Amino acid sequence: MAWGGRKYDAIVIGGDLNGLAAAAYLGRAHQRVLVLEESAKLGGVAVTGEIMPDYSISTVAHLVEALPRGVERDLKLAKHGLRMAARDIPTVALDRDGKHFVVPRNRKDIAALAATQPRDAAAWRAFDKRMKAHAALLAPLLLADAVPDASNLRRLVWRAGWNRADRLGDLLHLLPQSIGDLLDAEFECPLLKGALALDAVLGGADGPYAPGTVLRLLHRMAMRGLGRGLSIPLGGLGALTDALAAAVAAQRGEIRTGARVMRLLVEDGAIAGVETSDGVAIAAPLVVSSVDPRLTMLGLLGAAHLETEEARRLDRTSRSGSVAKVNLALDGLPDFRGLAPALCGARLLVAPSLDVVDHAATDFGQRELSSEPVMEITIPSAVDPALAPAGHHVVSVLVPFMPHDLEGGWPARRDEFMQRVIKTIAQYAPDFPDRLIAGDVLTPPDIETRFGLPGGDWYRGGIRAADLAGPRGPATPVSGLWLCGPGRHPAESVTGLAGRDMAEAFAAERGHR
Amino acid sequence: MTPDTMAPPLRDDEAGPLRSGIDPMDEHASVDPALFEPPAGEPPFARTVLTTPLHLAVAAESRVNRWTRWNGFTVASVLTDLDDEYRALRGAATLADISPLAKYRIAGRDAHVYLDRLVTRDLGAFAVDSALHVHFCEEHGLVLADGLLFRLGDDEYRLVTEETHLAWLMDSAIGLRVRVEDVGDTLAAMSLQGPLAAFCLAEAGLAGIEHLAPMTGCWAAAAGMPVYVSRTGTSGDLGYEIWVDPDDAPHVWRYLTDVGAPFGLRASGFHLRELARLEAGFARAGRDYLGAFAAIDPAHARTPFELGAGHNIAFDKPFFNGRAALARLAAVPARRLVRLAVEGLEPARFTAVHANGRQVGIATTTGFSPALGQNIALATLDAGAPMAGLAVDAEIRDELALRRVSLPARVVGEPFWAPARRRAVPAPLTA
Repeated sequence: MAWGGRKYDAIVIGGDLNGLAAAAYLGRAHQRVLVLEESAKLGGVAVTGEIMPDYSISTVAHLVEALPRGVERDLKLAKHGLRMAARDIPTVALDRDGKHFVVPRNRKDIAALAATQPRDAAAWRAFDKRMKAHAALLAPLLLADAVPDASNLRRLVWRAGWNRADRLGDLLHLLPQSIGDLLDAEFECPLLKGALALDAVLGGADGPYAPGTVLRLLHRMAMRGLGRGLSIPLGGLGALTDALAAAVAAQRGEIRTGARVMRLLVEDGAIAGVETSDGVAIAAPLVVSSVDPRLTMLGLLGAAHLETEEARRLDRTSRSGSVAKVNLALDGLPDFRGLAPALCGARLLVAPSLDVVDHAATDFGQRELSSEPVMEITIPSAVDPALAPAGHHVVSVLVPFMPHDLEGGWPARRDEFMQRVIKTIAQYAPDFPDRLIAGDVLTPPDIETRFGLPGGDWYRGGIRAADLAGPRGPATPVSGLWLCGPGRHPAESVTGLAGRDMAEAFAAERGHR
Repeated sequence: MTPDTMAPPLRDDEAGPLRSGIDPMDEHASVDPALFEPPAGEPPFARTVLTTPLHLAVAAESRVNRWTRWNGFTVASVLTDLDDEYRALRGAATLADISPLAKYRIAGRDAHVYLDRLVTRDLGAFAVDSALHVHFCEEHGLVLADGLLFRLGDDEYRLVTEETHLAWLMDSAIGLRVRVEDVGDTLAAMSLQGPLAAFCLAEAGLAGIEHLAPMTGCWAAAAGMPVYVSRTGTSGDLGYEIWVDPDDAPHVWRYLTDVGAPFGLRASGFHLRELARLEAGFARAGRDYLGAFAAIDPAHARTPFELGAGHNIAFDKPFFNGRAALARLAAVPARRLVRLAVEGLEPARFTAVHANGRQVGIATTTGFSPALGQNIALATLDAGAPMAGLAVDAEIRDELALRRVSLPARVVGEPFWAPARRRAVPAPLTA
């Protein structure tokens, strides 16, 4: 009830984006909120850190892919200091011979693609329209925080029939397909196919030829449909966290870092508060956790308060991440041969062909490093020069298909991994190795230990068809305990969407009562 | 291994014509224990014929070779004659092998928390060396099983159930510091029931056994072998169950039969156990009700209310498995498990229960009670079925003729067999 003489209506465990978003929304609903973050820094994977002094970079997540416009507006993030260094940045498929092209977003991009790949440019228009329509149709299903029930499905079918009679048939035909087969049937250019496939499979464990991966692409497109395209905040992802924290503070919410919750207090089957590691009991009738559901329910709450079936379901959810992160500091802008200077701030994809992506997935399955890693690269200092000293740059690289349980162990193979990444980038930017000043590798186990994410699964790209019907929704069987983390929400973690949906579900329940 | 099979088997050349070493003239049929040893290299679970540690000792008592299967184990159905065994049970004492029961050891720091969540009953005042009849449910409030829970130590318990439930018990241990172990193979059990049960144990050297209260247990020694004796049982009469190491079990069995025989103690089989259970009015999982996971149609699973175990649900406990569902179900009209007495003096076969010409229930265990001289049954009546005016369609066999009659039946509140001595402390040492 009181900590330092204050009373709280709600306690949010975990000061990551979702926790902060939930806190801000609860604050908007006139709840007095306390946010408890275990580490010294807020934000979870949306943080800005330093590679070395004066070289700052988004430590883990490096792009805002789908920050919903509603969240930005509701929480007045711009007013709380969120500025974008670049909005709606293009995606560039890197080519070894310098014939890069932008994955089309508009007419102009298609025209540019038509110059080199006339057939694919023509096919693109129909493909893009078809996938966007499906994504829009499925979005309510894919992004809802509740398992779709019969009425949702009926509405979906009805809408599909209303729009166009053959659309549902096409969707049913597409869903079980692999993205690789679909792209092979539609396009010719290996580079385009590689880039599109990487978009679909990034973050998951399945390769492009795994059945059902079309669903991934639709999910990703539905996610992106929420926001205003890919953007890079000024000051890195940490700036987004800061803005959310400011939004929480503006609603009289309190945030404590370095406060570790040891267990949840339960009285008469309902949540009564939390107990921190220094033995302080803080009472509140509502506890919201953005921590992994399994840790929250089995670790903090305790299996003794759960039905055996619930404990079993939680115990069997195990995720392991597949995305490693490499942060590099350079003494100058690397010269990607053939890349227009204006595109240096773009999202650069290293995925020369479907086969390369597929090999990376095969290596992943054998708990091996990719012989030819696929990557997503950004150079945030190209759009936000304040991140590095004048003339110097920082480069942020996501490397998918990196096994959590690497054969031989990560400590022994960290350097080998770094070498492979740099060697691969050097194929596109030959001066890259020479410009390197410092670097930092975050493997899935590193992310697991540093950010307390089970399995190091921070990217949440691995949605499978089975997850659509899986346990979803913020409510728990314990009265007063809610979940706002990505574990029970199909959205990726860097959106705050799970936090918002929790607050909305809570308000709905309260209104219902 | 029984004493008379402990002698090394004769070598082939010594044995002459009797190659196996079995003497057909020996009245105490000695069976080669190797018959029951799994052959070398046999994969686990390949064996479908399971025998209890007491199998050879019981087999030596069998005069009619009537066997049945109980929980996968071969057990004697009737050893001599059901009526003789019944007379011994109600007039003196009987000893039966109950090793096929599923037995689990539950131990660890969280064992109490674990069991408190597992069972519907309040374990607040559960003392060491006592036993409780417990039910446990899944999340929809359907009964998985009932069983007898013993507290053997501060953090050590034993759960005895009719059917196996290891998977559920292991799942329930997720997130708790508790160890669940199937001790079915490492613990033999026998049941000594009847008015002379305490007397027989006292004769066997278990001094002071008569002071053991119902639903409690204690460690004792029988002929120098450690046994755990609990005053429990399903006969509805004075009785004890003896939990013993499987290696000691045949010796304890022989010792008790030898001590008790002059006073009328007889070995008995599974058939008598069922009859006595029916008279005492206890429902058995798999027969009178199906566990929630055993029932293919969920409508055939039962809630504790339907089993008449509503008083066993402690709603003042803040949490246990199925609590929320049971709280909802408490107000719903439920089926009832009742004891039926059927008129007529001849043994009959019947299953369905009727009222006003409509089927309103089903009899799950039926039998002819020699003590009452009439057919009795455990039956489940549908929700809202009348409690009076019931009838059963019965078949009565007369040699090769068959008569179909409708016999009036009535619901009986009290168990058919419940003498006061079953709860008396000290237990009577004479009949």
